[in-house]
Amino acid sequence: MKFVGRDEIRLYAIDHYRIRDTLKTNVPMLKFQRNKIVGLFLKNDRFLTARGVLDDDIFGLEIEVDIDLETRVIQALKGRWHREETPECPRAIPFLQEAVGFRIDAPDFERRVNKSVGRRCCPHFANLLIECCDAANEAVAVIQETSGAPDHRPAPRPAEKDSQPAPANGPTSAGAAPAPAPAAAGRFTSDPSILKSGFRVDLHIHSSPASACSSVGVDDAIRAAKRAGLDAVCLTDHNFVWPEKDIEALCIKHDFLVLGGNEITTDQGDILVFGLSKDIRGIIQLPALRRLVEDNGGFMIAAHPFRGFLVFDARQIGLTVETAAARPLFCFVDAVETLNGKVTEAENSFAARVAGRLTLPMTGGSDAHAAAEVGKYATVFEKPIQNQQDLLAALKGGAYAPCRLRSRGASLQDR
Amino acid sequence: MTTLLCYSRNRSTSVEALDDTTLVSTCRLQDTRMDAVVQLRIRLPELEITAAEGRFFRPRAGACSEIDTALQKMIGIRIGAGLKKIIRGLTAETSTCRALPTMLEESCHAVILAFTKDTLAAVPKETKASIDYFKAMVKKNIRLYDRCAAFAPGSPLVEGMDPP
Repeated sequence: MKFVGRDEIRLYAIDHYRIRDTLKTNVPMLKFQRNKIVGLFLKNDRFLTARGVLDDDIFGLEIEVDIDLETRVIQALKGRWHREETPECPRAIPFLQEAVGFRIDAPDFERRVNKSVGRRCCPHFANLLIECCDAANEAVAVIQETSGAPDHRPAPRPAEKDSQPAPANGPTSAGAAPAPAPAAAGRFTSDPSILKSGFRVDLHIHSSPASACSSVGVDDAIRAAKRAGLDAVCLTDHNFVWPEKDIEALCIKHDFLVLGGNEITTDQGDILVFGLSKDIRGIIQLPALRRLVEDNGGFMIAAHPFRGFLVFDARQIGLTVETAAARPLFCFVDAVETLNGKVTEAENSFAARVAGRLTLPMTGGSDAHAAAEVGKYATVFEKPIQNQQDLLAALKGGAYAPCRLRSRGASLQDR
Repeated sequence: MTTLLCYSRNRSTSVEALDDTTLVSTCRLQDTRMDAVVQLRIRLPELEITAAEGRFFRPRAGACSEIDTALQKMIGIRIGAGLKKIIRGLTAETSTCRALPTMLEESCHAVILAFTKDTLAAVPKETKASIDYFKAMVKKNIRLYDRCAAFAPGSPLVEGMDPP
């Protein structure tokens, strides 16, 4: 294995924490380092104890987990901070107990820890707990191998959700598809009167259980859409195709226009896809998705293309509109989502500037995962839409604009 | 009474800046069963992975002995939203090595934490001032609201704020 970027490198394995590199000239400074140590020992015949320490440039924490050797269930868990990010981080400690009773070799263990401990306690405690329990699974395997004892435990229950992605569909060639001819950019993007007469559609919502991350059932989401004053709503669940008959049934049940879409994860990020009935599981390469969508006469929107991180965004690390507009992603989509309810105003504004630079049409959607979020943002179309075919034609026609419905009163996105 | 460890693990992940536009993130794992390293080169400001290399020194055979194809799938990926899903999905296509996705995730996560550290360097030392600082951060980025216990309803860091 060669290490890139340096002419001459000597590696010294000194201790458990650090590999030191020596250059002929300068020693590069570390920007960041995280060290995790886990030690496991048999507390008694019944319990295995894992002690883990996480120490990095920002956080210092430790945990101790007692695991039943027979059932692999977490029996006890304690933790403490050494160094924390905020003065309120100690609030997290009691919520560590959320993981007591979890079976560490269950297929959905990591997902459950991230959802419970990771959200209600702290994602760094969740990270260390997962590390400790992964090491514990290995430790039990080693103990069984060395003792020759067979595993008599019942198999863990299948995961509640399918957490194992299937292989990607479509060819994996990374060859670039020809740039699609962009639909005409919105013709009345600065005409506020369109809000009164236009047809308002939330193009991006998630419902449970189709999207594991959503907490709103589809019926409640539709009711919320009606309360928000929308004219229609699109169900764009993650890698999920709503059957046409189910969509029709929802329209009849709620006397409201419900349309189907799909949020598909590609190697270049999430894409909202309309007009494709093929079920895509796993990660698909963007050019392959483009070919599929084109073959089916569909439409692709880059979803939240500049969603940043919790305490910084792409601009703070030097991303400019010019650099961002050069991303290959924008050669494969028909429009850009420039109002998304899950990103900051600055990130939405940046997306709008990039889309404007590329003269790509812009859309809005709430990206709702809860009822209260539905309709925060939407897309207002010039003409009414009555069905899926109308939606596709309208998207390709380009006569629409992203709009805010509930924040600061109804308004179009500033350019 | 002597209590010997039956298993131990060290994982060290580091991020270094080769120059103004290039980071190298390295995840090293040494435990009772495994000895491995994965290294990613990342281009700024796009946070795009431009090179990925790695090797399992121990075990020498098995699922983790051939990971080059899976590593090459990472080239061109950007560190950003949905990265865990992308890593798991892409590596599952060509490798059954269970440890590899975690090493890749840790390497990418360290890059995010490196920039987080830069932002946190500005937090005031005094408690009241730091609380005000974090409150302003939440107002600017509502994704922080209820992100963890420190930012959950009832915490001073989100006092007076409505859920998004």
